[in-house]
Amino acid sequence: MSILLDADARLLIVGITGKFGTFSVKDLAQSHTRVVAGVAPGRGGQSVEGIPVFSSVAAAMRETHANAALIYVPAMVALDAVLETIEAGCPLIAYPGDGLPVLDAMEMRAAAIEHSAHLVGPNSPGLISPGKAKLGFMPSFCYAPGPIGVISRSGSLSYEACFRLSQAGLGQTSVIGIGGDPVRGVNAAEAIALFHDDSETRAIIYLGEIGGSEEYALAEYAKRPDAKPAAALLVGRTAPAGKKMGHAAAMIGSYAESWGAKVEALDRAGVVIARDLDGLPAAAASALARAMKPAA
Amino acid sequence: MHYAFMLITEAQGKALLQAAAIATPSSQELSSLDEVRACRIALPVAVKAQVAAGGRGKAGGIRKAGSGAELEQAFGAIMAMRFGGEAPSSVLVESWLDIARELYLAVAIDSRVGGFNVLYSPRGGINIEDGPPPLSYPVGLARNFRAHVLRALLEPVESDAKVRERVISTARRLLEVAQANECTTVEINPLVVSSDGALIAADAKIVLDEAAAFRKTATAATIAAARDKAAREIRLCEEANLMLVWLDGEIGLISGGAGMTMAAMDAIDGAGAQPACFLDVSGNPTPAGFGLAFDLLDRAPNVKGILVSMFGGGLHTDRVAKTLVELLAKRVSSKPVTLRLNGTRSDLATTILGEAGHRNHATLEIAVADIVKKVAGTRS
Repeated sequence: MSILLDADARLLIVGITGKFGTFSVKDLAQSHTRVVAGVAPGRGGQSVEGIPVFSSVAAAMRETHANAALIYVPAMVALDAVLETIEAGCPLIAYPGDGLPVLDAMEMRAAAIEHSAHLVGPNSPGLISPGKAKLGFMPSFCYAPGPIGVISRSGSLSYEACFRLSQAGLGQTSVIGIGGDPVRGVNAAEAIALFHDDSETRAIIYLGEIGGSEEYALAEYAKRPDAKPAAALLVGRTAPAGKKMGHAAAMIGSYAESWGAKVEALDRAGVVIARDLDGLPAAAASALARAMKPAA
Repeated sequence: MHYAFMLITEAQGKALLQAAAIATPSSQELSSLDEVRACRIALPVAVKAQVAAGGRGKAGGIRKAGSGAELEQAFGAIMAMRFGGEAPSSVLVESWLDIARELYLAVAIDSRVGGFNVLYSPRGGINIEDGPPPLSYPVGLARNFRAHVLRALLEPVESDAKVRERVISTARRLLEVAQANECTTVEINPLVVSSDGALIAADAKIVLDEAAAFRKTATAATIAAARDKAAREIRLCEEANLMLVWLDGEIGLISGGAGMTMAAMDAIDGAGAQPACFLDVSGNPTPAGFGLAFDLLDRAPNVKGILVSMFGGGLHTDRVAKTLVELLAKRVSSKPVTLRLNGTRSDLATTILGEAGHRNHATLEIAVADIVKKVAGTRS
């Protein structure tokens, strides 16, 4: 198993005729992910790299039975594209783009919940279930199949962190990028719940950062008696307060948003803490060992 | 589009509140002594520095003036002050309020709410952060605000029923202000209860969502003003699509991706040194982008050495290697440099660097140890 995305994935790409869309078709073909349709208004009937293009998501869904969508359109029209995809009945959608107005992110999130769809993003590389399928643009060589569920707020950190985990023999069921913006589709609490319910995921690894409050969802989960073991790496220990560190949500505005406060809460809840990237494989292995040997 | 945050001035914020019929003290915004002399706000008045930096009150940026002479003196003193390096563009002169109580009311985007959160405290004012955390009403979308839900939450913390009802109607208006102007924070602290029971917004802290600039001309104008005021280096990075935040350390860090750049900063700290910057070149990993990055760090006096750390995902590290070889051949600065290119095509990158006499370090940790050692060497 894995979360949300499996080997039966049939992807459609909204914005397939753009630079990112066309790149993605080639990249996904190399990572054994089936792309069945593209969408580009006014370009119906054409094809990109052999993939048929439709003028609307509804037409693409009808003709190809796609069950997941990757949306590569500019922030200016992203809400429209995501709403169209949700309302066409697509159950799983990734919107990787950044620079999305937060009001639009709120509307996307609300629409996804209303239609029982799962939205990954914004400002995220997407979702990958190694060895099965990829809904995003993360570099496939960083990942390997295995028993760990990974949740990350940062794309770049997740690539290198997963590369190191894979090198250490710690493969992943799925890796979900919940994104660097303050309002998102699937959030930390929801991603944790998905991994909790996935029978193959034996430990949860959380890659977080300063700013916002998502990390506290993991602390709350870890206190549950039935929680799966978890490890976390939070970056930004050396970031100053009041400065935005790249991501829209990576800014310390209050004590609760600081590295120290979050690490303390996670540590107290029993989450294994990796102080640096270097320590992540050992922390992950230690969490996994707990899963193998449940406390008496 | 990466200016720290789009906090507008109190005067601009109060104009947005007034447009939503939220009461504010009668006021005039003044930027010259002639304007101060012509000011017609009844004395006594509050004289308030107009800056984006926080902590203005505690830093002496708010003064009381009881006469024309005091007003002139307060104006001169405040305009000569700096708040977090920022010079006030003007002062706001407001009639001195007759305060019965100070409340705190805000709406702000909250990640775990997935939208707006309403925050209220019956004890507002400059020491709000020292008290218990404010009451929180997770609203989400502004249209999901329900007065009866907020009322039920307020009843245990706000015993004055009249104040409670006025807080509820002000909260709804704040959400409308946030929605209509695309704000991520609209905070009133203090929200003053005057002796006749009316609520008056004595301050306004409003943060605009910079991502909405394409459809909000006022936000675009605020970004343009921030760009004009920003340091030259920040502006150059903005134009080149690099992300720069200066820090206090000595290791100049050129990295890729927000999360990995922070991870590298932390690794430098772990090795006993401190990063001089957060500099993310992933938005423009070209000769122009790396060229600007080296130029800025070579010129910065606090930077004693430079670490380039890139993990190639989509990025081809052999291309980065070629770029770096060319840049380093032309570079005049003698500050030590350490390189670390891992990921996609890193074998090729190692060969390209090696042929030019540069070493590619195998991991972030090895590279960090190397630059920390080199910098320590330059000091002794």
